[in-house]
Amino acid sequence: MTLPKEYGGHGRSALERYVVVEETLAAGAPVGYHWVADRQSGLMVARLGTEAQKKSIIPAITSGEACFAIGMSEPNSGSDLASVKSKAEKVADGWLLNGTKIWTSNAHNATHMIALFRTDFSPDAKHKGLSQFLIDMKTVRGITPRPIRDLTGRGHFNEVSFVDVLLPPDALLGREGDGWNQVTAELAYERSGPERYLSCFLLLSELIKVLDGKASPSALAKIGAELAWAATLRNMSLSVAGMLNEGKDPSLQASVVKDLGCHFEQRLPGLAQELVAMEPTLSDSGIDYQQVLGNLMLLAPSFSLRGGTLEILRGIIARGLGVR
Amino acid sequence: MNEAQTILEDSISRLFADSVDRELLARMEHEPWDAGLWEACVELGLPQVMVSESRDGMGGSWVEGFIVARACGRYAVPLPVVEQMLAGHLADHAGLAVPEGVAGLLPEIIPGSAIAGSTVSMTQRRVPWGRRADWFLGLGADGELLIIGKDGSRCEAETNLAREPRDQVVLQASPILARGASGLPAEAVRWLGALLRSAQIAGAAAACLEMSVKYTSDREQFGRKLSQFQAIQHHLAEIAGQMAAVDTMALEACVALDQRGLAATGRDARFELAAAKCRASEAVEPLTRLSHQVHGAIGFTYEYDLQFLTRRLWSWRAEFGAHGEWGEYLGSIAQREGGDGIWAYMTA
Repeated sequence: MTLPKEYGGHGRSALERYVVVEETLAAGAPVGYHWVADRQSGLMVARLGTEAQKKSIIPAITSGEACFAIGMSEPNSGSDLASVKSKAEKVADGWLLNGTKIWTSNAHNATHMIALFRTDFSPDAKHKGLSQFLIDMKTVRGITPRPIRDLTGRGHFNEVSFVDVLLPPDALLGREGDGWNQVTAELAYERSGPERYLSCFLLLSELIKVLDGKASPSALAKIGAELAWAATLRNMSLSVAGMLNEGKDPSLQASVVKDLGCHFEQRLPGLAQELVAMEPTLSDSGIDYQQVLGNLMLLAPSFSLRGGTLEILRGIIARGLGVR
Repeated sequence: MNEAQTILEDSISRLFADSVDRELLARMEHEPWDAGLWEACVELGLPQVMVSESRDGMGGSWVEGFIVARACGRYAVPLPVVEQMLAGHLADHAGLAVPEGVAGLLPEIIPGSAIAGSTVSMTQRRVPWGRRADWFLGLGADGELLIIGKDGSRCEAETNLAREPRDQVVLQASPILARGASGLPAEAVRWLGALLRSAQIAGAAAACLEMSVKYTSDREQFGRKLSQFQAIQHHLAEIAGQMAAVDTMALEACVALDQRGLAATGRDARFELAAAKCRASEAVEPLTRLSHQVHGAIGFTYEYDLQFLTRRLWSWRAEFGAHGEWGEYLGSIAQREGGDGIWAYMTA
């Protein structure tokens, strides 16, 4: 939505995108295929890409053909992202990639990936030795996604191995050695959206339905307090969208929203169990409320992990306060 | 914030930073008045912030009101600045001139049975600075605004946990000096008082955060600054998050009030007002617990300033309704709108 018109986007503002995203999520619309591209990858290409990259990638995103994956974490680099070891070596005809990425959502469906690789191998290079690459998953050879089932039994994320993957010279996204700054900016897109509190709003709605006007005053007070949280998080998230709109860097504010948002989301299944005597179920039994509860209960641990653990977020907030 | 609002906030902050200190706060717990500071507030126009320009006010919106109230919370201002500001706003709303002197804002609805001709007789509890009031202001059951003289009234001194005056005022055939339809629901003092306390809580939370960051950056244990311990950093981050949440919702409620008004019917600003006080009151527990935790024993002493803030936070949490009451109101809206309607209602 926010991608430039000249490449087939709508040229809309971050706030306009926010309105549409919020309503699609509140309605539970299927948004998985284009989600990452629309939220962050497209913006990264628009902001950092060369003219040729923009011309070849953005129209594929806006037409809904391109599906993006994010290659950040590795088996030995999770929260300590700057320690990534996957290598991109400059060779005569481009870049030679070797290594493994993990927890890569949708890599088995993705047409493209923006991935973080080490391009400077000197021991003191740490943050400065990283670069981002724009990878066409369908044309290059040597990339193998292996699905990893999560605790729900479904496989949406992957371990992706790169074995002698040869990328053309123009696969570099942005500047060589600037990968850390780029990835930090990318994470702000990932951390602040309405999905950070709305994925559980459905449970709150179902809970209200199932109580069917028979809630005790103290139950109403608890539901009301969570509604106050939802309204608060919505306004905080909107203000981050406003900052993105004005071209400001909302990394700190986005971390605050995600930290508070994941606590909100993780509290709700417990509150539901406190107020209604019904078991959580899988999709094979139970009413809607029970299925939504069961689904979210299983997903809940991931809310404070994906896109930066809450410990990492709190570290970022502490740095914003000047104590780190 | 626009430029004029930034200037307003800067000038208020300068006044309070220069004049409200530990000595003043401690003294005011026993003799709760300071004529010099009150004069300075009046001179700066704080009581007139939300009075229309045609009545010599500043003509400000609730966003300006938020700025004043947050600054009062931030500096623990021990005077009824926000109550005076609200009284002025309400009188103005009813088309009445604001009398000279200190207002006594009556928190409870004045029932028709308390009004006989042009006098009022009733007991009002927890009136902020009732003992200093030159006149009283309250709302009748039909939303009629009454400005009441002191004659015939008496006052029993009571305080909240921060020793701010919350007096019992007994009106006995006290004269109605002016009256007029406010166009507001009878409960408006409670709704708007709750909003002001939310903004004050946001300000006091910001001060708690600032003190906590400073203290943990200065104090060393085990050979390093407290702020270098990850456990402490996470406490500070949590204080910051709670503060930001309270601040955001209180400001949003002011914006909603400017846009939608308080009508007690239809989709007015009541949802946002209730959400602001619910959020603010609920946040008091983690804010005060964590601020005290990172300060250790020194924060528990009278000699250290943190307690001027935290005792106010514990008092303001309950004043004009705590999170249970406002949460129940929000929950009842959810019940009325239903699971399928609540999202549309919230975002309307």
